[in-house]
Amino acid sequence: MQILKTLRMKPWLAQEQETEPFSLATNKEKAASTALKFFLAVITVIFFLFTVTFLQRTQSYDFQALSGEPWLPFSNASMLWQNSFYLLMASISIILANKSANFQSLKGVVISLTATALFTVMFIGGQVQVWQQLNQSGFYIYANPANSYYFLLTGMHALHIVAGVMVFIRCICLFSLDLSYQGLASRLKLCARYWHFLLFIWLFLFFLLTGDAQTFKTIALFCGF
Amino acid sequence: MENIAIADQVDHSSHPNSFLTKYVWSQDHKVIAIQYSITAIAVGLIALILSGVMRLQLGFPNEFSFIDPSSYLQFVTMHGMIMVIYLLTALLLGGFGNYLIPLMIGARDMVFPYLNMLSYWTYLLSVLVLVSSFFVSGGPTGAGWTLYPPQAILSGTPGADAGILLMLISLAIFIVAFTMGGLNYVSTILQARAKGMTLMRMPLTIWGIFVATILGLLAFPALLVSAIMMIFDKVVGTSFFMPAILSLGETLDHSGGSPILFQHLFWFFGHPEVYIVALPAFGMVSDVIAVHARKNIFGYRMMVWAIVAIGGLSFVVWAHHMYVSGMNPYFGFFFATTTLIIAIPTALKVYNWLLTLWRGNIHLTVPMLFAIGFIFTFTHGGLTGLMLGNVVIDLPLSDTFFVVAHFHMVMGVSPVMVLFAAIYHWFPLLTGRFLNNTLGKFHFWGTFLGTYAIYLPMHYLGFLGVPRRYFAMGETDFIPESAQTLNEGITVSAIIVGLVQLVFIANLIWSTFKGKKSGRNPWQATSLEWQTAQFPPGHGNWGEHVPQVHRWAYDYSVPEVKDDFIPQNFSPEEVKYLISDENNRREDK
Repeated sequence: MQILKTLRMKPWLAQEQETEPFSLATNKEKAASTALKFFLAVITVIFFLFTVTFLQRTQSYDFQALSGEPWLPFSNASMLWQNSFYLLMASISIILANKSANFQSLKGVVISLTATALFTVMFIGGQVQVWQQLNQSGFYIYANPANSYYFLLTGMHALHIVAGVMVFIRCICLFSLDLSYQGLASRLKLCARYWHFLLFIWLFLFFLLTGDAQTFKTIALFCGF
Repeated sequence: MENIAIADQVDHSSHPNSFLTKYVWSQDHKVIAIQYSITAIAVGLIALILSGVMRLQLGFPNEFSFIDPSSYLQFVTMHGMIMVIYLLTALLLGGFGNYLIPLMIGARDMVFPYLNMLSYWTYLLSVLVLVSSFFVSGGPTGAGWTLYPPQAILSGTPGADAGILLMLISLAIFIVAFTMGGLNYVSTILQARAKGMTLMRMPLTIWGIFVATILGLLAFPALLVSAIMMIFDKVVGTSFFMPAILSLGETLDHSGGSPILFQHLFWFFGHPEVYIVALPAFGMVSDVIAVHARKNIFGYRMMVWAIVAIGGLSFVVWAHHMYVSGMNPYFGFFFATTTLIIAIPTALKVYNWLLTLWRGNIHLTVPMLFAIGFIFTFTHGGLTGLMLGNVVIDLPLSDTFFVVAHFHMVMGVSPVMVLFAAIYHWFPLLTGRFLNNTLGKFHFWGTFLGTYAIYLPMHYLGFLGVPRRYFAMGETDFIPESAQTLNEGITVSAIIVGLVQLVFIANLIWSTFKGKKSGRNPWQATSLEWQTAQFPPGHGNWGEHVPQVHRWAYDYSVPEVKDDFIPQNFSPEEVKYLISDENNRREDK
């Protein structure tokens, strides 16, 4: 464990320090990568805490799961599967964009970036459509804690996607100014990591929010709620 | 405008040349630090005035017509929230963190200067949103700084309409600002250190800020989550925290929510927040003590380990704030145990400060006075914390003035003592001038003795059973009349302490322009921030080349070395020169 080795160092002994690597050779990309790792940790904590409160709430008397019975909206979750597919495609196309930038293929970059933007927008659009359908079917945000959590968690997820899109647009603007494939590739590498992470969060939320009462009971029992 | 943090050579084209880019939309970490500090101190003064008004009511009940029960609760709430979040967190991390991180690790700036600037302006927005709640209908929220539901959003509580919403929105904005700043601090410390500046050569100030920032990044989300959920409960009508409730004779639409859940979320943030404030203070006081006692810090490695251990443990003690809310007895046992365990690394730090002072060449400068004052106040606050960590002691004392005295000593007075020590210590680095020494000593004794005059009797009031959060005591059988006399005395002391701070502000303004010139490195410190080519450091910090580090930051009282200390950036050859120079001088004598 490097960290334990570091913490055992004796800084008052000059010789010993020369063995530890220093960070002058690093660059902005490495710093951005570090910042992104910490940011993903922050987002993980946010969704972890939401999840803990959700699981606790699933055991309250007024909680009505959104699937399990034929009349419940996510007993047939085809819309959500479709949205998942969009986000998966966005995640794949951003990898392709990164590869195209590495190969310095302008055509490849343009096509894959367009695909990423398109699939991401389709995902957001699909989510909005699900919200509308829930409202039209009477599953209002305040009507039941399961509905409240659905709107809250998917809304928070969408907000993070929108923030990612803003950074994504900045990448494109910077590329259009300097046409540096190297710069674009390094930025897209981080964007891709963010997109994959949000895909993972979405799949987790999908599983969580579309569970039936029995699943929640099992999870709660397992977690000790 | 933007300097690359790790670039060896300075980028002259990046120097700002207009007033706006230099002082307003600046991306220079030093200017941003000063912007953070001025804003935090300004909003802190509002909170100080609020505390004075509260004390007037407690000391002289019903004498002042402008204080009624509602406004009293609003003052309590705003005082607490401003002091903890908008003053202490912002000043310690946004102010000192911003100023000291690049300078102490040998970087030219933060790794993301634009994000850093954005962080400040977002913080300012959060302050403006919070302060605006004084001017909306119903005024600011009076729910107490913990904002517990259900009462926080129910009518009947002061500021339950716009006030609470503005508070929650302001907190959410603050957390966004903190996250932007925090990502910058950790990335800069991990990726932009000068050559030779290994993690274990970093001054303890940076270790404290580093771990506190990580705590903030992981703990503030809990506050964000609870704020968002409470906004939903208030605005949309969800029932995350709201149970089925009958309010003012009316059955509300909420049902099934858990107010206790909010408490868990709040304190999952709230307890690490104590250490978000304390750890940078621990680090800074360590450096101040080492410099002014001319001694290497005792047990540097232990000090680092203690900071890391305290940071880790701070996430598993939160429910000791909730003993009175009721919990499974095993939980109470668990949280009492972890609370007692966290005292071990904390006590270790206190011993190490004392052992650094032991047989040191102590210079009783103003920063050192404040640092020693901190050891006193922190030990007192910490010991009463140990008492309150036990369930059986906490239950009877929790709703009394004893707790108020405890947390003010440990989290109010102590960090503020370090803040003053740090301001007096690093002021020459900012301005090239000393703060006035006589006014500084007056400020120290006024603050130190004054705060004891406030909080020691307050512990006693707590033992008597005087409840906190009450607008007025009225007549009770169990509280003697002398308690009111004591309350009057506390109020007079509080007003004196408040006035003494005005002397400090005056000193700050006067010394910035007219103070005695300090010259370079006036305290003869070893750490990098004092070794810049230009003094006070200019844009880009390091002149033509960034420094190279050859040693740790605590080489004081080194035998045979001229001026008794070796700066971190002195190479072995330069040190040989220092030694031979000193030997020659001795031979000449």
